[in-house]
Parts: sequence; structure tokens; C-alpha cells
Amino acid sequence: MSQPANAIQKKPISLKKTILRLLLYFVVLDVCIITLYPYFAMLCTALKSREEIFSGNSVLPVTVLWSNFIDIWSRAPMAKYMLNSIIIAGGSTIIAMLCGIPAAYALARMKFKGQTAFLGFVIVSQMFAPVVLLIGIYQVMQVLHLTDSILGLIFINAAFNQAFTIWLLRGTFIGISADMEQAATIDGCNRIQSMMKVLLPVAAPGIVTTLIFIFINAWNEYTVALCLISTDTLKPLTVGINTFNGYNIIEWQYLFAASIFAIIPVVILFMCIEKNLVSGLASGGVKG
Amino acid sequence: MSTKTPAAPAGQQVQQSSPRLPNPGSKKFFRTIEPYIWIAPSIILMAVFIVTPIAKVFQLSMNKVTRAGKLKGFNNFENFTSVIKDPAFSLVLKNTILWTVAVVVISTLLGFILALLLNNKFRGRKIARAIVVFPWATTLVIQASAWKFVINTDYGTLNALLKKLGIISASVNWTSTPTIWFIWEIACGIFVTVPFVCFCVLSGLQSIDTSYYEAATVDGADYFQKLFKITLPLVKSSLTVSTVLNIIYVFNSFPIIWTMTKGDPANSTDTLVTYLYKLAFYNGKQGEASAVSVIGFIILLMCASIYMIYTLRKGDEDL
Amino acid sequence: MKKFLASLLLSAMALSLAACGGKANTPATSGSPSSGSGTPDPAPSGDKVAIKVIAAQYGKQTKDWWAKFQSDFNAANEDIDLNVEVVSWDDIYTVVNTRIANNDAPDILNIDVFADYVSDDLLRPIQECVSDETYAKFYDAFLEQSNIDGTIWAIPDLASARAMYYNKDILEAAGVDTIPTTWAELRTACEKIKAYDASLYPWGVDMTTDEGQACFAYYSWTNGGDFTDASGNWTLNSAENVEAVEYIIGLVKDGLTNSDPATQKRYDLQELFAAGKLAMMIGPNQISSYVAGSENPINFGIASIPANEGKSTSSVGVMDRFMVFENEDTDSKVEAIKAFFDFFYEDTRYSDWVIMEDFLPATKTGGEIMAAADPDAASWIEIVGSAKFYPTAQAKWADVKQGVIDVEQKALQGGNVQELLDALQAKIAG
Repeated sequence: MSQPANAIQKKPISLKKTILRLLLYFVVLDVCIITLYPYFAMLCTALKSREEIFSGNSVLPVTVLWSNFIDIWSRAPMAKYMLNSIIIAGGSTIIAMLCGIPAAYALARMKFKGQTAFLGFVIVSQMFAPVVLLIGIYQVMQVLHLTDSILGLIFINAAFNQAFTIWLLRGTFIGISADMEQAATIDGCNRIQSMMKVLLPVAAPGIVTTLIFIFINAWNEYTVALCLISTDTLKPLTVGINTFNGYNIIEWQYLFAASIFAIIPVVILFMCIEKNLVSGLASGGVKG
Repeated sequence: MSTKTPAAPAGQQVQQSSPRLPNPGSKKFFRTIEPYIWIAPSIILMAVFIVTPIAKVFQLSMNKVTRAGKLKGFNNFENFTSVIKDPAFSLVLKNTILWTVAVVVISTLLGFILALLLNNKFRGRKIARAIVVFPWATTLVIQASAWKFVINTDYGTLNALLKKLGIISASVNWTSTPTIWFIWEIACGIFVTVPFVCFCVLSGLQSIDTSYYEAATVDGADYFQKLFKITLPLVKSSLTVSTVLNIIYVFNSFPIIWTMTKGDPANSTDTLVTYLYKLAFYNGKQGEASAVSVIGFIILLMCASIYMIYTLRKGDEDL
Repeated sequence: MKKFLASLLLSAMALSLAACGGKANTPATSGSPSSGSGTPDPAPSGDKVAIKVIAAQYGKQTKDWWAKFQSDFNAANEDIDLNVEVVSWDDIYTVVNTRIANNDAPDILNIDVFADYVSDDLLRPIQECVSDETYAKFYDAFLEQSNIDGTIWAIPDLASARAMYYNKDILEAAGVDTIPTTWAELRTACEKIKAYDASLYPWGVDMTTDEGQACFAYYSWTNGGDFTDASGNWTLNSAENVEAVEYIIGLVKDGLTNSDPATQKRYDLQELFAAGKLAMMIGPNQISSYVAGSENPINFGIASIPANEGKSTSSVGVMDRFMVFENEDTDSKVEAIKAFFDFFYEDTRYSDWVIMEDFLPATKTGGEIMAAADPDAASWIEIVGSAKFYPTAQAKWADVKQGVIDVEQKALQGGNVQELLDALQAKIAG
């Protein structure tokens, strides 16, 4: 009975599968094109001369000015800005994780008074835009002698990413059965060991996602950095490239050339980590 | 910290510090305070760098503040009354709600669908995922500048491209009315928010055990049944986190609107944050600006309380 | 390759932690602003007088110029540690207000506004901080612009004036034979240009939050109107002002201007003008060199801003300032500030700065040097000499400025100009 029925069904299914597959490629391709279009426009603009930009007639640069990409390095300390950005984003990520993982762990694995209140507090702490808090932030930094310092920015970014870190990791930890950790405890591990050795490897996808989030958010932060940092050589890339945004003109070609450089480290980081995101999946598949 | 914990009683958590605290009473004491030690770093970080500035905002909102930012004493909520009396305020509030709802709803939908697509195994998936991360890897100021540049009537690349492709013959004014400007801003907001949702959901999708699907297939479930019965409940936790945070982030989002229109013309594209920024730094009314942010905070707080009551009361089993 | 990059990133992160650790132990970083790398003495010494300056970023070379100024100044004045921070115009109000609110005002600030700081008693009378010799260099009319209640609170760092720029080739091709001098002629010229080529924008208008108040001044002042009357009372809803706003809104509504005055800033207009897409606009003297700098410069001329029939034309002058904040100053600090101004306004250095920034000088000696070097500059210096300025000494100027911009933008959306200006007048004067 079942044999013929299967045979009849098999053909349409595989056809349907091919169509679905084609559809998938089609949609993904479209999404990629739409996503890349602004960057394509930025790249083309970054390779044009000012006159060509404002003639507004060409899509691709008529004369390709690679020199724009070289000029920005002499016009502004781009390498320094980029290093500052990496330090700020990297530092913020580490501090946000060091504070966030234990908190998320406590929320997921322990019961204590004020648990809900703490979760609420975490959300409430995010309800003011940094723009709104500028004056207060500056005041705190003055007291701590952290104005005009990269360390101050690292703390601010780490603090503003706590909510995300805690909420996402708490969800991830709750989704993972505690049995394995209990087994580890029986084997003589203490809490910290069982968390480090058992829970964290299994939670890798969530942790990696959180890492990317914090890194990108810190990488892109603009307003606080603008107000806190006054020394040119301490500025992150986001603030530094404002050099090309003058009183009388915006130098689009330089602004966009610099912006393209600013994207590269994040995309590289993502490509490296994405691999772990997939392999994390393999270990995440441990049966609960 | 010593990690040696010899002769641990089976099934019981033993703390490394227990040898130092021999009596059972202090062990119990430690277990009560232990969770607070775990959350302490996080609390300290937020208390110092977020709560203190928030207190400052409340202080400013209650005081008469001079243009140069000096406090001149409590002024009987005058900042609040003068803000609410301003006819522009209701327009701005309406814009803010429209902006938040449109961006969050549409980008959550699109991000979710995109995550489902990218969760399939296909050739070039790695590249596609990397491309999707682009909008998010770009500073919002630059992203918005790029959009403004692309849709510019006179030298924008969109017009140039469409002309080259022969779709239009003369330059089109893509931003002829304030409403259209606002739509572009919403589109840009969606563009940068979709990757955030997408990766939140992807991380949730990847921890789903494939055996669930296999079992469902055996039971004869179709694609949508599997989607609503298995996928959705399992990614719900990451989806809620991303939605709640998105509401807050988008509500407070500043650079997109500021870069594209500065809320012009006449507040028709202003949201609360751009409005208060103008109040604070263009009109020198920091007291009123702080009052606006307190009002915005109260609105968000109400939304969040509804959410809290809804999810946390129901218990944690679905989170 | 990827592994390599990953390890690179990781080591950068590790580095960052190390850097944090290092910094945490030396909070002095914020206390001793790093002087330029050229200075041989990096040790923060207690007996040096530190001066903090915030300067506005006018152009692409501003930063480099100030960096060189700082190292030259510090080399010439061994007992002073000068630190100049250059901030872009987009951000300067945010930065300055944040610092002032936290009692961390700079010693010297270079910005356009000053009345707010005076009303909060934050500034020193500028004459206390400038040597007599330097003080004598300024045009008296310019100093008067910073007079509140008989005290001069700021000195001008530079000036700029506005005039009408027109594209000679477009006007000729469109059959506009005489350069418009009245509003009616301007409208006719615009209509002719539009008829000649509908893809051209005849007239440039900027009603943005950045500079919409200039638009108000262009038409109000050439119609015999003003923000205030002679004794300083606000006259925002005068008949002249209503007529002026209605005139320019009329041009926009009839499609004789750029497409989106509420979001197109002056530099958007400037780009359009330089690209030959905008026939005429009102702009500052920098446009000349800006246009001349392009590969195929357009053929342009400069004329007075058109005035209404029977009214006289008026240029709009813009002036930025230096002011000194009261920060528990010692005598030696005041001396250091004097030294700063002497150094800055030293004739060759000052004219070098003004020429570099492409503005007009605010000192007589600077004006003479520039006029001698460049006949174009001479005529501009004459224009700025007769220009009117915004009433920046009025405490409510910031409200008025945002108010008129709001009126313009609402009028663009179809609001009644008379009602809008009445409401603004009532709000400001009432």
C-alpha cells in the first residue's frame, strides 16, 4: 500500500523542493542586493572626485580615484582611531561579559529574593537614551577622573549593554538543562567550575551572539564618545571621521571611504565568529 | 580561590569557602547571599554609570535650569507643564509612537522570516549571513548619511541608477513631503534593525534540537504546523528579548532622524529624542528637555510593566 | 588567514585590557592634557599654567592649523601649557553645554553665541583678558556686537558677509539681461530661468534648523524690517516681516527655488550652484573660492542682495567670537590668556588664519593686509563693514532664532504667515 503512494508523492515533493530551493536563493539574493546597495553607493562615491559626485550623472565612477582611500590616512589619524575603536569595543565586550555572565547565571540557576526586581531594574536601566544622559554621564566621569579617557568609554558601553547581555544569556541558560552541571557537581566541581566547563561550552551560540552584539554596539557608539573625549588621538573611529564633515562642506568621498574602513573589522570579526556560531550549534545539540 | 573540595556530600552544592566557615549556620548564610555576589558586578556597573546619570535627569527636570546649564532651584514642575502645553508636543508624541511601532513590528517580522531563511543549509549561506550583518556593522550616523545621499534628488545615486537603467527619464524628487521623509526614515530604521532581530532569532533557532522536527514530520505535520507548534514557541524567548529591547532602542533612537531631517520641517518628523535634543542643545532649555525624557521614560515604563506582568507572572517556563 | 585575523583581534582585545589596567592606575591623564608631540617636556609640571581652549572647526585645515598653533605657542611660552580642542559645528553646542553644566568650562571658547553665558555670569569682561595693544586692533562696530549693558564680553575672531551669487551663463542663456536688484526683478528672472530649462533651480533657499534665521534676515532686512526696533524691542510680526516671509514662501510655492528648503542646507545649495544646477543664491564669500576650486568652475558673478521696491539692500554679517570663562583664574592665568590672544592676533599669524579659513578679518590691521593682497577681499571687507548683524546680544535671541525657523517651516506647509508671526511675537515679547 504505502509503496505506490510514496512513489506518487515523491515526484511532486522533489519538484516542490527544487522550486522552494530556487525561491530561497532568489529571496536571499534579493535581500543581499538590497542590503548591499547603500554600500555599493558608498563605495562608488568614495572612488569619485567631488565634481563627479555632484554632477549626479554616473553610477560607477568614471575615473576611479583610489587615492581617496589613501588620502584619508594622511588627512586624519585613521589608524589611531581604528585602534581606539578596537580597544573600546573589545574592552567593553570583555567587561560586559564578565559582569553579565555571572548575573545571568544567578538568574537562571538560583532562586533569590528580588530576582524579578533585578530583571526589571535591568530593563529600566535601558530606558533612557545615552543622548539624554550625557550631562549626568559627564558628571560621573569627572568624579572618577575618567573624562577624556578610553577606559571611561569602555565602562559606559559595558553598562549600556548589560540589559541585552543578561536577558539573552539568562534565556540561553534557562534553555539548557541543569542536569549536566549537577552531574559535574557530583564529580566534585564547584559552581564556577561547573559553569565554566559544562554550561558555557553548551551555551556557546548564545554567548557568541551576545559578544557580537556588544562589540557592534560599542563599535558604533557615537554621542557619549563625542562628549567625553577631547584629545584627538583618543577618539574612536565614529567620532574621528567627523573630520570630513566641515562647516562649509561635507567631503562625501572621504567620509564614505573612511566609513567603509570602519565596517571592515566588524565584518571580519563576524566572519571569524560565525564559524563558532555554527560549531557551537553542534555542541548545543547535546541532548538535554 | 581553592578548587579542592574533598568529600563533597553527594547531590549537594559545596562552596569553596566552606572549609573556612565550618559551622552549618554560616554555610546557610552564604547560600542566601551567594546570588547577590553573582549579580553584584553587574549592579555596580549599572548603578554607577547609568543610574547616577538618570538621577541627574530627574534632578534637571524638576529644576529651573539656565541656558548654560546651571540649576536655579525647584520650579514646581514648570518644565513639565510648559512642555505639555507646547502644541508641537502631541505631534512629536504621535510621531514617536508611529516610528516605534512601525520599525519594531516590521523589522521583527522581516527579521524573523530572514532568520528562518538563513537557518536553511544552502550554498553561500556564510556569505549571506555576513552580508546581512552589514547594516548593523555601520554606525547609524553614517548609515543615515548614506541613505540621505542615495535618495537625494539632485545628486543621489538612486536617481542616477534608475536613469541608467532607463526606468525613469528625469530625476525624481524622492522626498517631496514631510510624510515621505518620515517613511524613508522608518525604512532606514527597519533596515538597521532587521539584522538585530535576525541574529537574535538565529541564535534561538540554532539551539533547537532537530529531533523535534523529525518527530513532527513522522506525525505528518506540514511546514506551517511545525513553524507555529515547534519553532515559534522555542524561539519565543529570544524573540521576546529582542522585541522588548528593540522597543526601547527604537523609541530612544536618535541618529537616523537627526542626520536625515533634524525633525524638520516644523517638528513633522521629530520623535521625542530629537525634539528634546533640540530643546536642550539648540534652545538651551535643559530643564524642559529633561522633562521630555522623563515623560518618555514613563511611557516606556508603562509598556514594560505590562510586559512584565504578562510574562513574569505567567512564570518562567516559556522564557 | 582567518585564523590569523582572529588571533589578531583577540590579541587586540587582550591589549585593550592591558591598556585599561595601565590607565586605571594613572588617572592623571585627564588632568594633564597632552601637549603636542613636538614639545620636548612631557612631564606635567605644577608651575605651568594650563589653558584649555575649545575652537570651532571651520574647514578642513582648521585642526592642523590649531595643532601647529598649539605647539608653536607652547614652544614660545615655556610656562604655559595650552591645549586646543577643535570641535565641529554640528557638535560644539552639545560638547560645550555638557562641560559647562558640569563646571568644566574651557578657559577660552570660540563660538558664535555669548549672551546665554553672560546671563549666567560665566564670562569675564573681555577687556580684562586682552592686552590694550590687541584690543585696539578690532573694528569698533564689531566690538559693539558683543556689548551687553555697557560691557564688551567677547572679541570677534572672524567675520563673514553674504551677497548674491549668480551663474552668468545661465542668466544669459535664459535671457536675463540685467542682474536682478529688486524682488520683482528677481521673480521675473526666476520665471525666465524656469521657462528656459525646467530642470534648473532658479533661486536657492535654506530654511533649515541650521541657518533658517539667515533666510528671515535676507528678506526682512531688504524690506525695511528687522528682528527688533531701534530700542531693542522685538518686532517679529511687523508688516515688513510678514511681507518678507510671504514673498519668499511664494517663490518656493511657485517652484522657483530648490525643491526642499526645509532640509537643504546652505552647503547643499553651494554644491548645486557649483555644479551649475542652481542659478542664483545668497551666500558667504567662501563660495567664490569653493567654486574656483572645482575642475570646471562655473562662470559666476556677485551682486547685492535684491531688495523690495523702494527699500535699500542690506548685507547679512555673521561674526564668531572668542570669550573667556571665569574659572577661578589666577593672575598668571589671565596673563597667559592675554599671551594667547596676543599670539593669535599677531598680524601675520592672524591674516594667515583668516585666509586659510577663507573668512574676512575682524581686525583693522588684518583687513589692511588682506585688502592690499587681494582686491576681491577688499570689496568683501567693504561689504562686511556695512553689514547688519543678528541681535545676538539679546538674551532671547536663541528662542527667536528657532522661532523664525519654525515659522518658515510651518509656512512652507501652508501656515498663515501673519498668524504664525503674531504667535511668535506673543511668545517672545509676552
